Amino acid sequence: MSVALTRWWTSIAFRQALIYGALVVLTMTVLLVVFYAETVGEWQRRIDRQIDATTQRLVEYDARQGMDALAAHINGLLGDGVDSDTEVYVLLDPAGRKVVGNLALAPAIIAPRSGIIERYVLRAGRPSESRLRITPLGGGGVLIVGRDMQDQRELESLIGRASLSAALITLLMAVGGALLFRRQLEHRIGAIRLTAARIERGDLAQRVPISAHQDEFARLSDDINTMLDRIHALMEGVRHVSNTIAHNIRTPLSRILARLRKAQDGRNPATELPAAVGAAIAEIEDLNVVFDKLLQIAEVEAGARRQSFAPVSLNAIAVNVLELYDAVAEAKGLKLTHALDHEPMTCGDGDLLANAMANLLDNAIKYTRTGGAVHVDTRRDAAAVTITVRDDGRGIPSSERARVGTRFYRLDRSVPGWGLGLASVTAIARLHGGRLVLEDAEPGLIARLVLPAFDSA
Amino acid sequence: MLLPARAPRARYYADGGGPTADAMQRCLIIEDDAENAGYIAEGLRELGWQAVGCGDGLDALGRATRESWDVIVLDRMLPGEVDGLSILTTLRALGQRTPVLVLSALAATDERVRGLKAGCDDYLTKPFAFSELAARIEALVRRAQSGEQLREMRVADLRVDLISRSVERSGRPIPLQPREFRLLAYLLMHQGRAVTRTMLLESVWDYRFDPQTNIIDVHISRLRSKIDRDGERPLIHTVRGVGYMVSADGPGKPP
Repeated sequence: MSVALTRWWTSIAFRQALIYGALVVLTMTVLLVVFYAETVGEWQRRIDRQIDATTQRLVEYDARQGMDALAAHINGLLGDGVDSDTEVYVLLDPAGRKVVGNLALAPAIIAPRSGIIERYVLRAGRPSESRLRITPLGGGGVLIVGRDMQDQRELESLIGRASLSAALITLLMAVGGALLFRRQLEHRIGAIRLTAARIERGDLAQRVPISAHQDEFARLSDDINTMLDRIHALMEGVRHVSNTIAHNIRTPLSRILARLRKAQDGRNPATELPAAVGAAIAEIEDLNVVFDKLLQIAEVEAGARRQSFAPVSLNAIAVNVLELYDAVAEAKGLKLTHALDHEPMTCGDGDLLANAMANLLDNAIKYTRTGGAVHVDTRRDAAAVTITVRDDGRGIPSSERARVGTRFYRLDRSVPGWGLGLASVTAIARLHGGRLVLEDAEPGLIARLVLPAFDSA
Repeated sequence: MLLPARAPRARYYADGGGPTADAMQRCLIIEDDAENAGYIAEGLRELGWQAVGCGDGLDALGRATRESWDVIVLDRMLPGEVDGLSILTTLRALGQRTPVLVLSALAATDERVRGLKAGCDDYLTKPFAFSELAARIEALVRRAQSGEQLREMRVADLRVDLISRSVERSGRPIPLQPREFRLLAYLLMHQGRAVTRTMLLESVWDYRFDPQTNIIDVHISRLRSKIDRDGERPLIHTVRGVGYMVSADGPGKPP
């Protein structure tokens, strides 16, 4: 039992419903108490007013007509059959003897006092709880007017019992409601948990079933499913990347192996081996570079370098990278020009941004014919700052532009490279909350690195 | 002040001649992979170093603190309780200033930063070319020995004034752009020794990334066209498979 209770108590649904139920019971109780006080109390006050009025009338009667007439009048009242179940009248002469009345009197209660008292008395031969007003009369007698409260008490206990059962029923309904509510909630959450458990076991295609009601749970399930879709897509992406990486690393590895084996088994090991070893070293060094670049992209994508972000000037980056490449451009006979805007600042990693720009400039120089022109400019807008590298080379067909940012995708395999440059730029742009935009320069390519502006103010 | 002439060796040094045993530089190689340690030690011995390998962290820490070394090559990942960085931290805490080059397969920037924070002087990622390692070790030793601030550097008839940032050769002033000056100064600082392209990119340009094109080669050839005129003795030499070297006598021949 206590185990079941603990289990229920750990359920937030049960607890919430029970607390809510307790609140309802409390409200109900307050309501009943007020109702009881208002009805029973009001009735008693009405009875007291009636006793007061009758007393006053009889005292006046006595003053006008004398005690004997009063006795006769009371006798008449007792015998008229009106209120005979409840009325109480007693008249005592100055010596304290009962002249007329329907109470068997204990002497202790006869002493006149102000206000209305409540006593157990014998009325018409049976015990009764009565409210009495004891008034001294002018002639020395005593008048007692009262009312038997038996019916009133019965009514009170009736209302009390009714209130109690109402409270009990409310309590039962609250507990029952709590249990029902818990079951409902468990049922809805159970669907989500079941899906989670299946996914944990490895079935990534599982989704939370969406119920027909557009309630909070349906929306939560919807959110969870969207999240699962995103995770699934990311994992597919990772799988794709791993496959591409495996392909791009295994291919050179098998080339190296094939060449070395061929040289080892060949006719002229003395001449073939050194050539094969040289080629193997070159390939392995290339692989090393590919590894470095892949790891760097992964590091950028992981976002850890955001910790070292600081305000940097795109102009400073552009000038430094231009200086790094001006000798190359000069050697290739390219015109390398630039135009800088006033203080385009962003918040980022200077080395990475220089790396990104170096990649863009490297591409521009690589794909532009001798005698061509490459132009770099920086620009500051309200929310964004941009480095643009524009060349008049062959450009990238619009159909290919979406794919050049993916790893190992290469447009022209005759130009040396690994197909990681723009993937790296894309990753760096994303790390900084920016993006890489490729456009047609007709002829040539415009590559824009758009980054969020840093406002020092 | 002129740089002291130092005993150069093998093909990393401009002029031949072997070192004497007592002048031998000592390198402690803390690396658990025996083959890799042997490869480094053998290479260094060919260059005239006395190289000692040590594969156990605790043992290495003892040797590093008890004996005197010119440079320590330290692998970050060691088996057992004592890892590379804690050796480094302990050494530095004991006040040992021996230059330390950390070797690591961990290439991420924050790993590099962690190494530098622990007190290493250079950080090289595995796998590496021996030439790169050798050039960096030489640069470290040189840096540790040339504590004084230089005013002027010379090689043959080339004079570089580090204060006025002017360069002249046989009395002929050579105007250089600031970056060209830094490039030349760095080469001269390591004269007689090969420096790699990566070292130049890191020291002269402050970049940690590897540009796709051989940018450094182009910068060197532009600098060369200003320094080495036709008919003059070439001072800037290409060391095949390694990088570049400034010396009066040209790169030495392989032994």
